[in-house]
Amino acid sequence: MNITHNIRVIINGQTREISVAPNETLQDLLRYRLGLVGTKSGCETGDCGACTVIVDGKAVNSCLVLAVESNGSSVTTIEGISSNGELHPLQQAFIDHGAVQCGFCTPGMILAAKSLLDEDPNANEKDIRLALAGNLCRCTGYVSILKAVAAVGKTLRGGK
Amino acid sequence: MSNDHKVIGKSIPRLDARSKVLGEARYADDLSLPGMLYVKVVRSPHPNARIRSIDTSRARNYPGVISVLTAQDIPGEKLMGPIIKDQPVLCGEAVGYVGDAVALVGAETEQAAEEALELIKVDYEILAPVLDPFKAMEPGAPQVHSGGNIGTHSKVRRGDMEAAFRDATVVVEKRFFYPRVEHAYMEPEVAVVAPDPGGGVTVWSSTQYAHLDREEVSRVLGLPQSRVRVHQMMTGGGFGGKINPHAQCLAALIAWKAGRPAKLRYSREESLISSYKCHPFVMDMKLGANREGKLLALEATLVGNTGAYLLQGKAVITKSATHVSGPYYIPNIKADAYAVFTNCVPCGAMRGYGVPQVTFALESLMDELTGRLGLDPIELRMRNALDTTLPNATGQVMGASVPIKEMLGKAKLTVQSFKLLLQQAPAKGKLRAVGVGCSTRGIGSIRKPSRSTAVVSLHPDGSATVACGHVDLGQGSDTMMAQVAAEELGVDVDRVNVVTNDTAISPDCESTSASRVTYLSGNAVRLAAAKARRRVLEIAAGDLGCAPEELRLMNGSVVYREQGVTLAGLFSKHTFHSVTSVAEFLPDTVPPDPETGQGRPAGTYNFNVHVALVEVDEGTGQIRILRYLALTDVGHMINPLIVEGQVHGGMMMGLGSALMEEVKVENGVTNTSFATYLIPTTFDVPQELLIGVVEEPEPTGPFGAKGFAEGSLDPVGATIANAVSKAIGVRVTRLPMTSERIHELLSQR
Repeated sequence: MNITHNIRVIINGQTREISVAPNETLQDLLRYRLGLVGTKSGCETGDCGACTVIVDGKAVNSCLVLAVESNGSSVTTIEGISSNGELHPLQQAFIDHGAVQCGFCTPGMILAAKSLLDEDPNANEKDIRLALAGNLCRCTGYVSILKAVAAVGKTLRGGK
Repeated sequence: MSNDHKVIGKSIPRLDARSKVLGEARYADDLSLPGMLYVKVVRSPHPNARIRSIDTSRARNYPGVISVLTAQDIPGEKLMGPIIKDQPVLCGEAVGYVGDAVALVGAETEQAAEEALELIKVDYEILAPVLDPFKAMEPGAPQVHSGGNIGTHSKVRRGDMEAAFRDATVVVEKRFFYPRVEHAYMEPEVAVVAPDPGGGVTVWSSTQYAHLDREEVSRVLGLPQSRVRVHQMMTGGGFGGKINPHAQCLAALIAWKAGRPAKLRYSREESLISSYKCHPFVMDMKLGANREGKLLALEATLVGNTGAYLLQGKAVITKSATHVSGPYYIPNIKADAYAVFTNCVPCGAMRGYGVPQVTFALESLMDELTGRLGLDPIELRMRNALDTTLPNATGQVMGASVPIKEMLGKAKLTVQSFKLLLQQAPAKGKLRAVGVGCSTRGIGSIRKPSRSTAVVSLHPDGSATVACGHVDLGQGSDTMMAQVAAEELGVDVDRVNVVTNDTAISPDCESTSASRVTYLSGNAVRLAAAKARRRVLEIAAGDLGCAPEELRLMNGSVVYREQGVTLAGLFSKHTFHSVTSVAEFLPDTVPPDPETGQGRPAGTYNFNVHVALVEVDEGTGQIRILRYLALTDVGHMINPLIVEGQVHGGMMMGLGSALMEEVKVENGVTNTSFATYLIPTTFDVPQELLIGVVEEPEPTGPFGAKGFAEGSLDPVGATIANAVSKAIGVRVTRLPMTSERIHELLSQR
């Protein structure tokens, strides 16, 4: 019963060798074994996006990924995008635009937005809506979130 | 007014935002304790059944299982609930709905607990359920509880109905349906409980009312309240849905019995099946007006399906009845509102609390009247709007801060600008129209007065601690309380620490609900801070030989003319460590009379006027909101950024109930995930969502502020339904307006 697999995965820039159970999700590994609890668990069926992390550049629902599948991958969680207290521009924009209320969707929302802007700094409003459509938020009505992401996109493009 | 203020009226980002964007904010499920057990719940698969026996023997012997509990193991009270305590903590004799809790397993791992659930055999005698509230009211219907299926009957009686309807030139009448809605807080219910060596327990929970957690856990365990300490963890939304500490009580039972920490976290499916919802209403409403469009009479029968337990049902039903005439003066009113027991999932508090329901019915009939009278929708509303001399449905006259007419005036301009867009030819097969909806709501409890208490300590370094029991669910109330205290004490907001989340520190202020925190606790915090300031200034005035009025507090010093005396020096001289003051606020209210509904039930009222421009696809029935204006009245704004966030969120939640959300029950809840219970996403945000805030200060509010957070939801269903009805030429009487329903209405034309 206790079969485990050894995986090698880069988490927030740090290479980790971890032994994981075959039915263990990436979400559970991050949250309950590695203590990276900034990744939230809202449904465990891939419907809410609260557990979004970035795997090899792509935003994924970590509840739908088995930990073994991340072998050889690079995983970024919300704990990995700021450095020495210096916030990522998206983090600062979420604060400034009032895009944070209860905060439960916030880490997933920020990572989904980061994955979009990393890939396409020119993303327009429709692209932003599409990239965040899988991340549910019940507090903000999304308005301030969309504004925050658009503002960061604009800054990245050198606009003001 | 705002010009004199240093921090009131400023858009200060919420104080916990940084910890949340960093992923450092701690929610209950983020907590793990050494030796912690995992709790799982056996839930009833039947809506109505008697329990013959429960066999737990196999589960008890399962590897990893430490504790298996049923109703007979509960040391204290066996029933619980937020207001009416009628829900079994664990069902011992009978179950009342699919999802009722029957037994508990506490195990070393979540997996072992889950597997052991399957080994518990409950022998049910299955009985016929009653799910429809009208069937439940028929003679001979299965009785959900002894004592009949009508849980509450709430009344409003005013004037002479017969005469009024006889005098009416126009009478409109219809039946309306409002759906059962899920709160859909992003964080499901979670509680961690640990036994204390001192003979009590500590609870870490996701909650809207930490002190209710304390009360219920103490009742269920048979402990004094002083032996239960509750820490509200960062809470991932509530919207009225986290005022029933069921998970807390269940985790506490395992922790207490096993003598080890225990965690219970509901899966999303479990949350959707078992947690209470917003009441679905069936509303028969009749409205009469004279030729000039003056409303003369309103008659309404409101039937709310409260499900298996009453919980807050009585209060929700009372709120709906007392708000039946909305923001209008109607001299003659007869309203009968019922909370009816069925074997459906229970219903309780949800943002709006009975008001969005009656607002949908009333505002729809208002638009029907405009058609019959040939009047403009804004004009009809203007002619009947309340002012500072006219009473609402409860007979209450608000002497100030009733800006509904000013708001209607602003809305009129918006309607005109939206109508310009109507003239642009829409694409083929698209129908466009503009709709209006208005609402009002009493701030705070209607059924009884509620008191807030705050303790403010001013420290020698000029910083301050505020203790007050209204927990922050994400809406930003802690930040606003910090602003209120900072303004009074002359310090920066980040020098104020607001502690609302610990029952050992923060006084009980009732739940964070009913849009009450800003108004009630804002006042209590302001009064306590002002008292602390006064005390310090009086002491300093004694030393300086001047009047306290000549002094002010600034950044940890008492300032006299151009000189400053530090608080550290002053406190040291007078042997103070800190200066601590306590204050209470209890609004001057009179609950509604049970026979007539007349009283003075709220300290203040909030008003809302919304306007929507919609487009309906004639082929599919699909609705798009092209433009939307939410005008809101908040008294004076404490924090515009937070006001804006509440209005956006309330509007989008209302849009969900208007267009897509409905918890379906066939024996039990059938849409048990976010794949089948759809809530708005980024794609549903209107292309343009405008917010207008009208500031007419409330004289009894803190710095003129009043509550508003539910008000932004109240008129949304009504507003969109009025626009859609106009676009398709058929009156919408049922929410949500799914494409299928609108398609069907289109085919009736």
